[in-house]
Amino acid sequence: MNINGIQIDDTYAEAFNMRGTRVIITAQNHKWAYHAANAMTGFATSVIGCGVEAGIERELSPSETPDGRAGVSILMFAMGSKVLMQQLETRMGQCILTCPTAAAFAGIDSDDKISLGKHLRYFGDGYQTSKLIRDANGIARRYWRIPVMDGEFLVQETTGMVRAIGGGNFLILATSQPAALAAAEAAIEAMKQVPNVVMPFPGGVVRSGSKVGSKYPKMFASSNDAFCPTLKGLVKSELSDDIESVMEIVIDGLTFEDIARSMKVGIEAICNLGESQGVKRISAGNYGGKLGPHLFKLHEILGQ
Amino acid sequence: MTALTFTLKNATDFKINCSHLTPNLLKGLTLSQIQGLTLANGHNAPKVADFFEVNGNDTENIIFSNSTSQLDYIGYKMKNGSITIQGDTGDFLGCQMQNGTIICQGSAGDRVGDQMRRGVILIDGNAGNYCASRIIAGTVGIYGQVGKFLGFAMKRGTLLVTQQPSLHATIQDCGSHTLPFLALLFQSFKSYPTKFNTVNNLRVRRFAGDLACNGSGEVLVISP
Repeated sequence: MNINGIQIDDTYAEAFNMRGTRVIITAQNHKWAYHAANAMTGFATSVIGCGVEAGIERELSPSETPDGRAGVSILMFAMGSKVLMQQLETRMGQCILTCPTAAAFAGIDSDDKISLGKHLRYFGDGYQTSKLIRDANGIARRYWRIPVMDGEFLVQETTGMVRAIGGGNFLILATSQPAALAAAEAAIEAMKQVPNVVMPFPGGVVRSGSKVGSKYPKMFASSNDAFCPTLKGLVKSELSDDIESVMEIVIDGLTFEDIARSMKVGIEAICNLGESQGVKRISAGNYGGKLGPHLFKLHEILGQ
Repeated sequence: MTALTFTLKNATDFKINCSHLTPNLLKGLTLSQIQGLTLANGHNAPKVADFFEVNGNDTENIIFSNSTSQLDYIGYKMKNGSITIQGDTGDFLGCQMQNGTIICQGSAGDRVGDQMRRGVILIDGNAGNYCASRIIAGTVGIYGQVGKFLGFAMKRGTLLVTQQPSLHATIQDCGSHTLPFLALLFQSFKSYPTKFNTVNNLRVRRFAGDLACNGSGEVLVISP
């Protein structure tokens, strides 16, 4: 497949099952909502080293938030429910509780509930109080009010936890590093408009794509040498002579369709730039079935 | 489905105990069964139909129409649904209430929400003495004036008043604050037929108490 002179490899991205949740953070204004959200989703690029993968899904206007203030929605993913619960509680305590004027609410409904403020409330040292308040649908939700030095920290007791998918991806192969990065930025800007997904790496882009395993026994992931341009003469490279830089975009999402839609939007944004901007190929990271059950076939996605 | 409506036929000189007329106790009963219910224990106890015209079929939503201060114990041990009182009501409104919503569009007597555990009671008019006494949790709002000993022996719960009440010594002033949870609470009032549905000012004077009973409750003086 070739779009605007850019080759789309006949390959697939390989993704795996995760558990996910959404949290709505509100604050006095968007500036402080972002401070809270950025802290909470910081150091959450990959489950390999961070426990969770998280990102800001989108900005919310006051009319979209439970308390009528400016907000952002966060998506957080982990390999299992236990890790997700632990990481959510830790990050809530260190990043949201601590952030001036911030409040946190459930952003997704599910029969599986995980703690948002249920345990955090004990920070109130006995002065915490709960309120059971009906939402617009008449469903009673429990909230905790925890006294803090700037007033009161308001947090919903639980949020929902759902089955999700992590590791959707595609690779941008370009003739130079600036060209690869510019294309990645264009893709990310377009993909940010797609709901239910986040791109958890810095700026949404990862330059150190990995393969499974390593020559070192203690390492279970290592550099994806087949796509490292400086190793073209040393390894069984996937890169042609004219490729000098590769960037990867990793996507976590709530459903297969969400990730597929996001990949399609991102790849199309790059193709719209045209071959003249330096991108030669779009490929994807797969590990021959070692990593997960979900296969995002590039040709099928772009044909949708 | 139309709200189950009890219309008081005539004003009475005596008290009527309405504790049997709650959504949880009337669920599944036919109109004739409800009309035949007795309002007190005993062989010659009066029946519902002796005092009320009964219409409607939605036992989750009950209306007391033409209500007066002689109707006591409305919402007693109520567990769910809503009760709207078009007029005044007597003592022990929402006493030992477990959950649900009570809207009183007139005034209420003494001991509103006594030992109430959960739910919302909103009164557009005045409330008598010992309002929200021994309340365990829940929300009680009084738009008008309130009598003595508001929140006497309250454990938890939120009492909303629009005027500075006379408070006893074990309810203490915590100062003026902007409380974010009120945005959610006031939002939940929007659909209720009460004066509280227009309140949106989050700025309040907060009093905490009753310190004789843990002090986890609060009286919030709102500015509608």
